[in-house]
Amino acid sequence: MVSSAELRRDAPASRFLAPEVLARIGNIELLARTVVEGFMSGLHKSPYLGRSVDFAEHRAYMPGDDIRRIDWRLFGRTDRFYLKEFEADSNTDLVQLLDVSRSMRFTSHALTKLDYARYLVACLAYLARKQRDRVGLVTFDEDVLDFVPPSAKHLPILLHTLDRADRAPEGGGKGALSRPLHKAGEACHRRGLMVLVSDLYEEPRAVLDALALLRHRGSDLMVFHVLDPAELEFPFDQPAAYEDLESGERIPVVPDAVRERYRALVADHIATLSRVLGENRIDYGLFDTSRPLDHALASFLTRRERMLRVR
Amino acid sequence: MGFLTPAFLAGLAALAIPVLVHLTHRPRSETVPFPSLMFLQKIPYRSVRRQSLRHWLLFAMRCLAFAILALAFARPFFGRTGQAATTLAGAKVRVVLLDRSFSMGYSGRWARALEAARRAVGEAGPQDRVALVLFDRTPESAGEPSLDRAGVRAALDAARPGFGVTRYAPAFRLAQEMLDASNLPAREIVLVTDFQKAGWEGADDVQLAPSTRLTWVDVSDRAASNLAITGVEMERDYESGRERVIATARLVNKGPRPVEGAEVAFDVDGRTVRQQRASLGPNRSATVTFEPFPLPPAVARGTVRVTPDALPQDDTFHFVLAPGGDLPVLVLENGPPRGRSLYVQRALAIGHRPRFRVELKDAAQLQPDDLRPGMLVVLNDAPPPKASAKRLREFVEAGGGLLVVLADQSAPAAWPPEMAALLPGPFGAAVDRSADWGATLAYVDYGHPVFDLFRGPHSGDFSSARFFRYRKLEAKDGVLSRFDDGAVALAAKAIGKGRVLVWTSSIDTAWNDLALQPVFLPFLHQLARYSASHTESPAAHTVGEALDLSREAALQKDGATTLAPSGERSRLPAGSKGLELTEPGFYEVRASAGGPALQVAAVNVDRAESDLAAMDPEELAGAVTHLGRGASATRTEPALTTEEQESRQALWQYLLMAAFLLLATETVLSNRLSTRARSLVRTP
Repeated sequence: MVSSAELRRDAPASRFLAPEVLARIGNIELLARTVVEGFMSGLHKSPYLGRSVDFAEHRAYMPGDDIRRIDWRLFGRTDRFYLKEFEADSNTDLVQLLDVSRSMRFTSHALTKLDYARYLVACLAYLARKQRDRVGLVTFDEDVLDFVPPSAKHLPILLHTLDRADRAPEGGGKGALSRPLHKAGEACHRRGLMVLVSDLYEEPRAVLDALALLRHRGSDLMVFHVLDPAELEFPFDQPAAYEDLESGERIPVVPDAVRERYRALVADHIATLSRVLGENRIDYGLFDTSRPLDHALASFLTRRERMLRVR
Repeated sequence: MGFLTPAFLAGLAALAIPVLVHLTHRPRSETVPFPSLMFLQKIPYRSVRRQSLRHWLLFAMRCLAFAILALAFARPFFGRTGQAATTLAGAKVRVVLLDRSFSMGYSGRWARALEAARRAVGEAGPQDRVALVLFDRTPESAGEPSLDRAGVRAALDAARPGFGVTRYAPAFRLAQEMLDASNLPAREIVLVTDFQKAGWEGADDVQLAPSTRLTWVDVSDRAASNLAITGVEMERDYESGRERVIATARLVNKGPRPVEGAEVAFDVDGRTVRQQRASLGPNRSATVTFEPFPLPPAVARGTVRVTPDALPQDDTFHFVLAPGGDLPVLVLENGPPRGRSLYVQRALAIGHRPRFRVELKDAAQLQPDDLRPGMLVVLNDAPPPKASAKRLREFVEAGGGLLVVLADQSAPAAWPPEMAALLPGPFGAAVDRSADWGATLAYVDYGHPVFDLFRGPHSGDFSSARFFRYRKLEAKDGVLSRFDDGAVALAAKAIGKGRVLVWTSSIDTAWNDLALQPVFLPFLHQLARYSASHTESPAAHTVGEALDLSREAALQKDGATTLAPSGERSRLPAGSKGLELTEPGFYEVRASAGGPALQVAAVNVDRAESDLAAMDPEELAGAVTHLGRGASATRTEPALTTEEQESRQALWQYLLMAAFLLLATETVLSNRLSTRARSLVRTP
């Protein structure tokens, strides 16, 4: 397990965008573009166009083309031959499930976990859209809050939904994976890539159970575990009553006395998740919100690509 | 060190607050939001009580701030150590002279004086003899010098500023007598006063013994200001036969501050009848004349008052308004009036204090009933009426006045012996001085009440009058004036309670030209007043004077009850001649407790005391001690009341500032500590 401190040390500050910088970008689309264009520049971009229900563009007729693909209506208007090209059927659906529960609103620095997760989702959606994938979004706490069906045209809606995800009037509700993930699985019939972004404050077995339905449908699953550095390190020194942001429960805590035990528990939790999910062919990635987003994203995708090759 | 309001020291109990806060401080009281307690709940709970007092510096600062605040509210001050004769070795006798004149009632003076006197008593050694003398015009000893401190302190507790004026000389004399009576060698006088300039006259011949040490405490205010009514003049006139009074009050502003719009009211029997406003510049005086006010039929109590200031005793002036006061004058001529009394008549018609009511009559027509007590009979060159000669004698013996004018028609033969016996001496034929341009008055007894008015320079010249004829009067006693040849011009003789005055020339222009001289009118008025024994009851008295009750027949017989302004009743025994007036206001003398007032007297404080100008204490000390000849005088710092000491030091301000600084530092420190702790936790 790589600690967040080590991650921060690995990330060249001059090359990547610090979370504090991202927090100052008000437009989430601009933010996603900034992040993605940054680490995608230079990568091979080869969209494959084919037949599908989603219209892509017109192209002038070339000898040898299938005349069945000529757009006759356009010929009637322009007296020229154009072919209609559609999104290739081979492009997949990217559905991201974003946890917006109260616990996601915690932060110990400039960026809340929810903000970080939103930027992450936006970046992935932008990236997918660049690759002509259809993008969809499910926001949830203990139930589904918003559902954006996967579509090639839904990026703006998705971004808009993300934009207002942190404006829930009561600051989000309790988090629970089982029910919303079950509903999301029922709503998304087509197989594709499903990404769960959450702080995963549930036992690893419960997480795995919640993801089981999606996995059984044949979707490719990725789990992004978003945590604040304070959740990892527990750096507090003030004896106080610690209040659970979701349940409101309070317990007296002497940080000095519990810190080591807490860190061990969290590390064990992360290790268990990583192991259990890996055993079930679910990609798991830990995201420290103090780590530059683009660096974390690029590292994860690179690692995933390597793993796919292995698989 | 003392505290002005020590009750606030109970606020030190507030020190328990930070202690309790720290002791009761629990982590539960400060909530740290955390995403999930999933892992923390798996860790066993540990008590945090021992962690409560972690920030000892904050705790100390809070306790200190509370303590300083409590001290500040308790108004601390550092008491001064005495400088009086504590340095003297051995037992000594000390006389504390405490000024109780009414100027000591000026704001704060009396409290300072009492404090100083108590300190002087308290600082005396255990073997020292101490005595207290309260003084104003007269000194009053509270007892011989003794070791009895409690008695002196009790006398001090009972002492109050009086209504008298300051006089230092009698106080020093009494103090020196008390010191001289002591066999202790060390002697000291502690003078506690406001050093009023008016209290010391350069002519006062007081010298303290060389062995007497004089220590003083000056309680005066350097910028004292006082507005006083120094007097009220009352002019009377008649309108439509009704007597009116026109009151004019004189206001003096003794001080460096101007007085704007002071309200001056004229009260009669407690009811305000006239009101005016007056403004005075610094050290200026002004007069306020009220509109005429009709005199009530009975004796009324008048008061002119001005808005009270720091010395209220001289802000009111009381006086008695009594109607009447006329002096009836019966002028008898030889035969029907033919104008020989024209000058007398005209001269007396002008007077209003008293108002002369002149009546002319033929001497032969005089009836016994015409002679009433208190009147003046003028035999203007007329022989005494034979029919009423006896009655006239009785009239004079009972207190009536008789002025005999001997002129052309006053033949000695016309005076029967029993009437001639009323005269100061036998008179003879007329002396004619027309040949030598007339005689002049060569001798005038200016010490006599008749001529007292003309005593001063430029107060009237009798030498310019020419007397061409006069009658020789052989009077051995009672000669008040003589001509240049030694002949008697005016002589007086007392008969019983009355008086007989003889003027040996005419009182018109027949034998002299006195009637044409400026002195004629006041001379005639004086002559009439004196002859009739007319005394005008003063409208107002001054504290310290005695009210003359010798004429009150009822009092002389049965005694009377007096009611002082303070409401105190006292019984005057029969035969009492007077009543000492000790306080300002209205005194009443009644025959019985519920009976009508025999006399009402208005009493005011002596306005000399209203001038708060202070003299240099060194000057007074130099005058009464043998400075330079072995005697010593020491100045002590003005004794301050605890309030003034506290006010001057104002330690509470510094303490309050220190407390605020401490609290501000504590806040900054606390915030930093909290920020450091909370910087690790950002709530959504």
